Amino acid sequence: MAKFDLTARIGQYLDRHLVFPLLEFLSAKEIYDENELLQAKLDILSKTNMIDYAIDIRKQLYPNFEVPEELNERRNRVLQELGDLEDNASVILKLMSDDDTMETMEKMRDSKSLNHFLLKESDFRVEMMESLVKLAKYRYECGTYSVSTSYLYFYMLVMPPTDRNYLDVLWGKLASEILVQNWETALEDVNKLREYIDSNAIGNTLQVLQQRTWLIHWSLFVFFNHVKGRDLIIEMFLYRPHYLNAIQTMCPHILRYLATAVIINRSRRSTLKDLVKVIQQESYTYRDPITEFLEHLYVNFDFDGARQKLQECQTVVFNDFFLIALLNEFVENARLMIFETFCRIHQCISIDMLAEKLNMKADVAECWIVNLIRNARLDAKIDSKLGHVVMGGQPASPYQQLVEKIETLSVRSEALENLIERKLKAKNQDSVSIVWN
Amino acid sequence: MSRFFATGSDSESDSSSEEEQIQRPTGAVYTFSDDEEETKRVVRSTKEKRYEEITNLIKLIRNYKKIKDMSSMLTSFEQLTRAYAKALPVIAKEENGQTPHFYLRCLVELENFITDVWEDRKNMSKNNSKSLTSLRQKIRKYIKDFEEDITKFKENPDQEDEDEEEKAEEAEESDGEEDRANAFKKASSAEANAPDVSKFKKGPTIDGEEASDSDEDWGSDSDSDSTSSDDDGQYTNIRERFIKKTTDKDDDEDKAKKKEQRKERKDKERKKRRDEDDGEGEWETVKGGVAIPSEKPKMFAKDAEINVQAVLKKLTEVIAARGKKRTDRREQIELLHELQSIAETHNLGPAVAVKIKFSIISSIFDYNPKVSDAMKPEYWSKLLERISEMLDMLLSTPDMVIAETVSEDSEEYETPPYKLHGCVLTLVERLDEEFTKLLKECDPHSNEYVERLKDEKRVSTIIDKVQEYLERQSVVSELCRIYLRKIEHLYYKFDPTVLKQKDGEIASNVVTSVQVMEKLCKFVYAKDGTDRLRTRAILSHIYHHALHDNWFQARDLILMSHLQETIQHSDPATQILYNRTMAHLGLCAFRHANIKDAHNCLVDLMMTGKVKELLAQGLLPQRQHERSKEQEKIEKQRQMPFHMHINLELLECVYLVSAMLIEIPYMAAHEFDARRRMISKTFYQQLRSSERQSLVGPPESMREHVVAAAKAMRNGNWAACNNFIINEKMNAKVWDLFYQTDKVRAMLTRLIQEEALRTYLFTYSHVYDSISMPTLAEMFQLKRPVVHSIISKMIINEELMASLDDPTETVVMHRSEPSRLQSLALQLTDKVNNFVDSNDRIFELKQGNFFSRSGNQGNFRDRQNYNRQGQDWGRQRRDRNREDNRNY
Repeated sequence: MAKFDLTARIGQYLDRHLVFPLLEFLSAKEIYDENELLQAKLDILSKTNMIDYAIDIRKQLYPNFEVPEELNERRNRVLQELGDLEDNASVILKLMSDDDTMETMEKMRDSKSLNHFLLKESDFRVEMMESLVKLAKYRYECGTYSVSTSYLYFYMLVMPPTDRNYLDVLWGKLASEILVQNWETALEDVNKLREYIDSNAIGNTLQVLQQRTWLIHWSLFVFFNHVKGRDLIIEMFLYRPHYLNAIQTMCPHILRYLATAVIINRSRRSTLKDLVKVIQQESYTYRDPITEFLEHLYVNFDFDGARQKLQECQTVVFNDFFLIALLNEFVENARLMIFETFCRIHQCISIDMLAEKLNMKADVAECWIVNLIRNARLDAKIDSKLGHVVMGGQPASPYQQLVEKIETLSVRSEALENLIERKLKAKNQDSVSIVWN
Repeated sequence: MSRFFATGSDSESDSSSEEEQIQRPTGAVYTFSDDEEETKRVVRSTKEKRYEEITNLIKLIRNYKKIKDMSSMLTSFEQLTRAYAKALPVIAKEENGQTPHFYLRCLVELENFITDVWEDRKNMSKNNSKSLTSLRQKIRKYIKDFEEDITKFKENPDQEDEDEEEKAEEAEESDGEEDRANAFKKASSAEANAPDVSKFKKGPTIDGEEASDSDEDWGSDSDSDSTSSDDDGQYTNIRERFIKKTTDKDDDEDKAKKKEQRKERKDKERKKRRDEDDGEGEWETVKGGVAIPSEKPKMFAKDAEINVQAVLKKLTEVIAARGKKRTDRREQIELLHELQSIAETHNLGPAVAVKIKFSIISSIFDYNPKVSDAMKPEYWSKLLERISEMLDMLLSTPDMVIAETVSEDSEEYETPPYKLHGCVLTLVERLDEEFTKLLKECDPHSNEYVERLKDEKRVSTIIDKVQEYLERQSVVSELCRIYLRKIEHLYYKFDPTVLKQKDGEIASNVVTSVQVMEKLCKFVYAKDGTDRLRTRAILSHIYHHALHDNWFQARDLILMSHLQETIQHSDPATQILYNRTMAHLGLCAFRHANIKDAHNCLVDLMMTGKVKELLAQGLLPQRQHERSKEQEKIEKQRQMPFHMHINLELLECVYLVSAMLIEIPYMAAHEFDARRRMISKTFYQQLRSSERQSLVGPPESMREHVVAAAKAMRNGNWAACNNFIINEKMNAKVWDLFYQTDKVRAMLTRLIQEEALRTYLFTYSHVYDSISMPTLAEMFQLKRPVVHSIISKMIINEELMASLDDPTETVVMHRSEPSRLQSLALQLTDKVNNFVDSNDRIFELKQGNFFSRSGNQGNFRDRQNYNRQGQDWGRQRRDRNREDNRNY
């Protein structure tokens, strides 16, 4: 199943700390050799300050070897450095530990007045923020993410977005929030970051593209864990041209997640068309069972192909860090999609064939259809003698079409008329101030 | 003279000394050509030319005097003064600042004449009298400058009286005679150092017989007074002496003596003419004094030490003559060659050799006076040899630099690292341009063309060499330029190894032209500072991809480049390249069965009916407005050489077939639709013109084949359609031109089957209640899943009012075809809908609700927008084409 594993491709756009969950997941799935994974983890850790963790893994990997002395030494050094940094930022740390001040701070809307307040109340200096950022980073490197988030939160309260560290802090905050699994704030951070990136604060287009690519990858953590994530992922990836463009040029593999999100999002079937277009366009650079499933179903109307792909999809989803939680939902919705499309085309389907196409047993399928009919999602009847499902409903007659088309017109015209009238009135009342272009 | 020289380097700014330049005009002339006529002509070059001009004008004036044509006289007089002013430097040198006698005479005469005629002016025509007045004014004013001379001249008016008749005759003297006279003059003046006065007195008796003859000589005599060099001064002195003497005597005697003198000279002249060798010899010696450079053919004095400095000095001397009117270009080339061999024999090092070669190449380029004409083949081959020799030398001496940044003063010839002023790149660019010109000159169907085309390889290797050289220097802008040159030699060539590599027949590590292109283009994209090079590189890159069936890469590149929007602002050459690229992109899309894209790419090229012009593959005769000569010339310059042409019939056929595959099902589907619009105008025209014929014969041409196929498809007869499109005739004409022709044909058959099925369903669905899918599959020889998929697609897109009945495998039609009234009503609702929509829009506009719209139009490079653009290709390009046409 390593064929469709995207960890390697995604990993290059993630922070090294963010890769750990992925690796943990992989080792649980046992797709790769355990020792290789451990080695990879160790390599990643070598550049962080999470010495304890590194020592643990080392023990797992080489149970017969003693922990080298230098690691212990490094551990001490890290601790010492941490102490130094904390000393540097002691004023702020003291401020932060004071609940009253924090409360007043949070009430202040403006970073300027906040700054003012801090300068007045304590011996706070703006320059100290630098050391706070350093400390937060160090904390992060050590793996104490929650502390780091609180530091960074403070920073963001105090400093205006024009500060040169602001972007770095945003990234750091997002990473820490993700790692402490605080999805609500993480989502806020994603939005903040997106606004910052889109605000053209970064001049170089290439850099902007890179930042967007990172954001796309990082936000996957948030979107697939947050409740509203499924809507938001479509919103951001598919309907923000900048991000869609970034996906198409830099990381077409994201299409898998986008496709999954669209499939499980039953209420937003309209997005399918747009998605299929994108998938077709990029089909030469990226394809996996999920995109192929959509292609089979909506481009070629090849139901057999779709069925096969659906089976493959299940394994893919099962082995994907982000998607595994959605497995059942995915399968259910995919089946429904097949069935819906089927019904749109057919007027009479045999249940046996349907069961085969949906990867179900005949009686389960029948049961499933009955449920669908009962929930009024389907205008159909079952002919149990022949074992057929007969679709109800004829296409609209020309008369109906006519009525449908005209229906809204009068309402719309009326609304327009009202609008104009109101405008005119306003104009007459205050003919000087309103400029009618 | 040409771009090349503007950037070229060494000529005008030469440090060569002033004197050299002054003496050169004479100098270059006396060299060694053994062609006598030429030498003669050349000899006259400096002062003679001026003098001749003046005498000719005087002659004219005299003629006008006779016929009293005042206006012509006026113009001639003006010319004369101008010519005189021009000749002044020469005269000053030759005559010690004295005004030549014949000129004075003319002035005096003219003045007299005017005073004579002045009274008469009332009888003249208005024009003439007007001219006369202005002439009088002018001459009075002009004469003031010469007052002194004229008074002097008037002291011996005798001469003047005498000349009356002779003047006319003198006018008839031919050039040759004048030469002779000159030669004689000089010869005589050489001897005249001691012309015995007694001689003059000798034999006054012959006077009578020789009178008529001597008349002729009199003129030349007067000429000689003025023309000859320093000696003349002496001579005139002598004559003055002589005149003084004679003033005591009778006028008649004087005259006689003079005539005798003339006769004597004439005798001498005759003698000289008789023994030519002698004459030549004399000639040489006379010259020797004046022109030192006659030594030049030997280049250096025998005993002179030949070192780098000397050679270089000589070189600058030779080069300095370049571009001047009188310089014999061929001779210059020969001179340079000689210099080169001298340099070689004396082993003066590579730098000097390269420098000389460089100059030779420049002068070969120079040889052709007109930029628009092609070079002569023999010079072309010479040029190729020289350039490759030079480049070999350059490459073999690693520490040599030729660059424009090296100033002429800092050139270094003797010790490495050598430094030279110049630019190899421009040289090669020029070479390349010459090559295209040469190719265009030849008849493309002749062997000559093939022969020329063989040089392409050499040109390419030269470019490679320059590339190698420039890579050593690594100046980015120059590298970009040479890369583009290379790209332009590469992009249109098909490399079969690319496709083999794609099929896995060749290992993936073999470097194919696609990889080379990729490397070159990427460099240009990254490093180029000017937009033009990048645009051309990207277009060539797309072309190359399209040529090798890399459809996706080509498509992405063109979409990312945004060129559809901006191309109309670029120069015609780039627009042509764009058109060519689009043509190939269309062909590539067709091979990939992307019929819609193919159609979109080609529609603008084909719609105008001016494909030939748009692709620069020939000029169309224009009916309405003739082009001017100049325009035609420019257009001819733009033409592509034949070997780069794109087959127009193939292009048209691909376009028509794509149009057929799109248009026929569309027509069938919207047969009664009022809003139906044409997809392809050209295709419609073809269809209509065939429908107009009362009797349609079996198809002959490619177009007729396509039209016949379209008709067959309309009836859903796929087999007939297929037979019309794919048969032996069409294979020979069109399809065999594709590289993987079988693949294309198979693809075409499949598409025809599919589209025929769709057409069939559209056309005949109303007569069926249900159709069995297996029957359909059999009818169109398609696989069942394919039929199923096609029908499903039609149902989903609501093109076909039907649904499938799975157990029986049939398509059940729903009677939903609206009646005429119903369909009209539906149309009406559509229109009302549009109306309301536009109302809304107008209101929004009035509100000034712009911001919500401009939101998603950031100028970021988002592909989503491109794609929208992509669908808009049609319109975009149509605009551009209009622009194009205007440019043409």
